[in-house]
Amino acid sequence: MDTIVASASVIAAALAVGLAAIGPGIGQGNASGQAVAGIARQPEAEGKIRGTLLLTLAFMESLTIYGLVISLVLLFANPFS
Amino acid sequence: MTQSNQTLETTAIEPENNADDSPSATNDRNSMEEYYQLIETLLITTFAVTAIIVVCVWIFYSLNTALNYLLGSCVGVVYLRMLGKDVERLGKSSNGLGSRRFALFAALIIVASQWQQLHIVPVFLGFLTYKVAIIAYTLQTSAMPAKK
Repeated sequence: MDTIVASASVIAAALAVGLAAIGPGIGQGNASGQAVAGIARQPEAEGKIRGTLLLTLAFMESLTIYGLVISLVLLFANPFS
Repeated sequence: MTQSNQTLETTAIEPENNADDSPSATNDRNSMEEYYQLIETLLITTFAVTAIIVVCVWIFYSLNTALNYLLGSCVGVVYLRMLGKDVERLGKSSNGLGSRRFALFAALIIVASQWQQLHIVPVFLGFLTYKVAIIAYTLQTSAMPAKK
């Protein structure tokens, strides 16, 4: 693999997973915090709150996963090599 | 007369004391049962969608691609189960949302990219099968909210 392509791929992989983790990280923190506060206020609605949180986190984590896939493909199955 | 009043008081107070413990505990248990039922529904839906897609891919593409899809889907089910366990533990223990799930997914993609028998695209699409189940559940509950 060309040195320039290899170094650009590594930088792109780092940027992909790093940038893709920022937004979902903030969103997951906010959602989890609000959910725990909601459970503390209404313990009888714990199951509903946790269920909604599960669905929300699954959607948010998939955004991180997309970035992770791009970075792993660039590192281990680089199409430009 | 006073004795009968005392017995009335005790009979009036006793259920109240029990009412502090049992109904809230029962509500909590019922509430968490709803959550466990949601996870079970998602897992069953994921398995059903996986079975349908694996058979279709086997018929229209090849057995190898279908097995790749099946592998990705199995890892997706494990991922969803780990996410469910993490959400269940959230707020009860000091551990936050762990990142072991991402390690599982990264290992899957690395194995798929390094092993010649596996292809990345069907494995990744198989992994995303759990999202189909989640979207179906969300659409169902938003279309029929009274049923839940």
